[in-house]
Amino acid sequence: MAAIAERLGTDREAYRASQMRRRLNMAFFLGPAIVVVGLFFVLPVVVDVVISFTDLGRDLRITEFSTDNYERALGFGDTRQDKQLPGVIARTVMYVGGTLLIFNTTFGLILALTTTALPRGSGTFFRAVWLLPRMSPSVVYAILWTWSIHGGDTSLVNQVVMGAFGANGPIDLRQLHPMWVIIFANGFIGASFAMIILTSAIRGIPEHLFFAARCDGAGSLSIVRHIVLPQLRWPLTYIFIWQTLSLMTSFEYILLITGGGPFRATTVFAIFIFQRAFSASGQYAYGAALAFFLIVPGVILALILWRISNMNTLMQQPRIEVQ
Amino acid sequence: MVAEATAVLNQPTQQAHWDRLAAKARFRRSARLTFLYSFLIVTSLPIIVPYFWLVTLAFSARVSTVDTSVLWPSIFVLVPAVMLTLAWSMLARSRRQALIGAAIVWAVAVLILAVIVGPNLNLNNFRFLYNAAFGAENTNIVAAKDRPGFSTTAFPWVWTAFANSLIIAGGATVIVIVVASLAAYYISRFQYPFRQSSLAAMLVLHAFPITVLLIPIFLIIWKLGLLNTLFGVILVIVGIELPLAVFIMKGFFDAVPWEIEMSALSDGATRRQAFFKVVLPQVVNGMIAVSVFVFIRGWEEFVFVLVLSTKQAKWTMSLYTFYILEDSTMGVDYGLLSAVALFYIIPSFVLYAFAQKYLMQMTVGGVKG
Amino acid sequence: MATIEFRNVDKSFGPVQVIEDMNLAIGDGEFVALLGPSGCGKSTSLFMLAGIYLPSGGDILFDSSRVNEVEARDRNVGIVFQSYALYPHLSVRDNIRFPLRFKNVPADEADRRIREISDLVQISELLDRRPSQLSGGQQQRVALARALVKDPTLLLLDEPLSNLDATLRLTMRTEIKSLQERLEITTILVTHDQIEATTMADRIVCMRAGRIEQVGTPDDLYLRPASLFVAGFIGSPPINLFAGEAQNGALSVNGGSLPIAGANGSVTIGLRPEHLSFGGAGLSGRVAQLEPMGREVLYVVETEIGHVRVLQQGTAVEHPTGDAVRIDFRPTDSLVFDTTTERLIPDAEVKAAA
Repeated sequence: MAAIAERLGTDREAYRASQMRRRLNMAFFLGPAIVVVGLFFVLPVVVDVVISFTDLGRDLRITEFSTDNYERALGFGDTRQDKQLPGVIARTVMYVGGTLLIFNTTFGLILALTTTALPRGSGTFFRAVWLLPRMSPSVVYAILWTWSIHGGDTSLVNQVVMGAFGANGPIDLRQLHPMWVIIFANGFIGASFAMIILTSAIRGIPEHLFFAARCDGAGSLSIVRHIVLPQLRWPLTYIFIWQTLSLMTSFEYILLITGGGPFRATTVFAIFIFQRAFSASGQYAYGAALAFFLIVPGVILALILWRISNMNTLMQQPRIEVQ
Repeated sequence: MVAEATAVLNQPTQQAHWDRLAAKARFRRSARLTFLYSFLIVTSLPIIVPYFWLVTLAFSARVSTVDTSVLWPSIFVLVPAVMLTLAWSMLARSRRQALIGAAIVWAVAVLILAVIVGPNLNLNNFRFLYNAAFGAENTNIVAAKDRPGFSTTAFPWVWTAFANSLIIAGGATVIVIVVASLAAYYISRFQYPFRQSSLAAMLVLHAFPITVLLIPIFLIIWKLGLLNTLFGVILVIVGIELPLAVFIMKGFFDAVPWEIEMSALSDGATRRQAFFKVVLPQVVNGMIAVSVFVFIRGWEEFVFVLVLSTKQAKWTMSLYTFYILEDSTMGVDYGLLSAVALFYIIPSFVLYAFAQKYLMQMTVGGVKG
Repeated sequence: MATIEFRNVDKSFGPVQVIEDMNLAIGDGEFVALLGPSGCGKSTSLFMLAGIYLPSGGDILFDSSRVNEVEARDRNVGIVFQSYALYPHLSVRDNIRFPLRFKNVPADEADRRIREISDLVQISELLDRRPSQLSGGQQQRVALARALVKDPTLLLLDEPLSNLDATLRLTMRTEIKSLQERLEITTILVTHDQIEATTMADRIVCMRAGRIEQVGTPDDLYLRPASLFVAGFIGSPPINLFAGEAQNGALSVNGGSLPIAGANGSVTIGLRPEHLSFGGAGLSGRVAQLEPMGREVLYVVETEIGHVRVLQQGTAVEHPTGDAVRIDFRPTDSLVFDTTTERLIPDAEVKAAA
């Protein structure tokens, strides 16, 4: 009897030791990552929500809690609605829609199709060119845009327009067509994302499928229509959603190239938040409330992306259960 | 049917029929290539020209206005050279002929360029690299007006900014590698609750645009007392890049065979010892790939650096370039600015080219990428 | 009329030369097999006929007309790939309809042809399924249907049976052969399986490393292989080969000796296992191993000249392992090759015993 009790006791001890090791291991390996993720993703979301109900401003002091910020954004209650907001939202829709449809999906697809139809070396060259904007630091990219389109005589655009086309005076694209400027500027960068993903998808199509189509009588355009495009449906959906999310929240390049102007012509939602919070007025709480309206769609779209990626197939069951 | 029809015809007519088809094939091929090259060249010009201009500006004489004395002549020589080379390679009968033709075209082009453009080239603009007082005559930093407490002294030494960028990028890289490898190993190898959702969480976090959280992160960093420090920026970059790093590292850990670990364990090692001695060396490629990504991000980061410094405390290359651009007196020295921009941009390109090699070998989350 | 000719054809991919100076003529309605190990260039030759690859040198002729640069879509060639290459997003019916789309065939005519061809290859019940819902054999028949529906002048088959299991392979062999005879269409089959080639083809083109080793009927290749390679490639179980020195009518091999006529110097002799029998006063040896294979038994006999495989008809094992036996054969069944050139020495022969 005593022997059994003793053995049970040691077994229980061994089990507790193993449990201890399990917890230690988890803390050691996962701990730091959890802290970082908590600090930079979970906590900010919580902070944002909390702050949005305060009056945190330039003085960095909280004196009261209220729904004033939301009232101001959505236009209810006794706070005066922010009159600029509807315009900002309209511009955001125009910007996101324009860039997404023209560049980030369509032109990216065209780039993938055309560069893969060329011999290997040339295709790689053109893809590398279209990756230059994405690879450049944002400040440098903005410098290049500014120099190319500013309103002086010496910008690239004006040298071409005045030199080759004989215009009388310089044009300032940032004044004339600011929305197109930011669409193109962000579009050049966005197109490369689709280009990379779709190129890899096209390369994944078995070669014999192309051979069979050619023997069946298909020309290049028919091959694109009947062989390539059907295989690109999933990648395109993925790109569409990812880029919508990315564009909705982008503001770095707009800030650097047009600053949101002229006269708020290119002030999209994300810039609006930035200006409200980090300009002289420092309306952090209001900015937080506005940001909330980006956080929610952001999380939703990210979850949809996850769904599409079909996560379950990527997990492999662990085979060592000893701790 | 075609077959029967041609059988009835005599041989010369048959051959003529096939020759017509061969001619059609040649025509189709030329038309396709011409269209593709023209389209891509035309649409790529708006990207190629400004970057090329940046290079020519950096190496040419300093003038008070932006200078295109090198740009347009270069373009007028280079573009025909490229077109000639392309056309020649399409028409040439053999590889050797194509190469000889290309060599001739380019030799002539370089000669012409040397004559027309050569005298304008110099390294004057790069004096910011060795002459700290280059900005001495320009003490007006315009953007400073908007920044409370911003100093208005002469422009800082570029190497300070360079060093700071290096510290930020390098520091973030080291921390990310350590944290991501530990976490990815655990997710890949251990059983624990919520394991399934960990990987999903990483992907969702990576897709989530962190700039939306600019305000709360600013407040958190402020509360932690890390505003105006390099470490604050380092931490933020770690936060930004960690999810993707974990995702990538997990893929590499998945590819390490279980047998290696099992034999280490049966040799008496604890799981932790097995990790350090046996598994980690296998995923070095993954660590290199992740290092490159994080370093690039740290090197290029602008928004968070801008937001997290309320005083002119720490310069980075991104801020440095930005303020030279904003400066109304020095900002018009396009040559200088180009040289700075070039100096800033080249490490990025080098790193991207380096990363390309490792991208090829990457497996994404357990499934071959 | 659909005659094919390869005239001095070369094909290189960059620095790698895959086909070297290939000359071959194929007549109308012939069923020819390109046989050889992987990498010997047989699929490449097929693709040059289809117009997928362009020859680096030489000419490809259809009915004596040069067609090198003519695109695949203008050649009216039907091709079945090893992987079948069915369009995954289309139904079987649409897969078969695909080639007709580019010939501007009116809808009712197209439907008639689709019906006809699917009856011919027996896939009529599968027309509304997707390729992913079909078995390997069914997919292959769909691929055949798609190749034949456009009434091609030439049918090309690239290892069509290698992805099928053994029983299916047998049925498809006869099906394809009878189909070809019925349609009387010039057909070229690429395979590495010599049994496929010998059972299906009118003529076999045996290839190695981009060159043609021998062209002939299956019998030609079996009875009179032009080279060591062909002798070793054709015939199952594989031929016994022994290298030795012949001098003055005696061949010394591995310490043993056999009488030889018509050859001198370094020679390699070939003896097919099915031409060997036990008994007589020939080679002496001991049974080292035996494999009963159903209707025949394969013996491996340790002799003075080396290990000799002997194939005996019948299920009974007459000589258990360890038995001492003597091996006999007809001199006319023996093959003698020059070891250096690897070519057959036509009138030489070896005797089992003096």
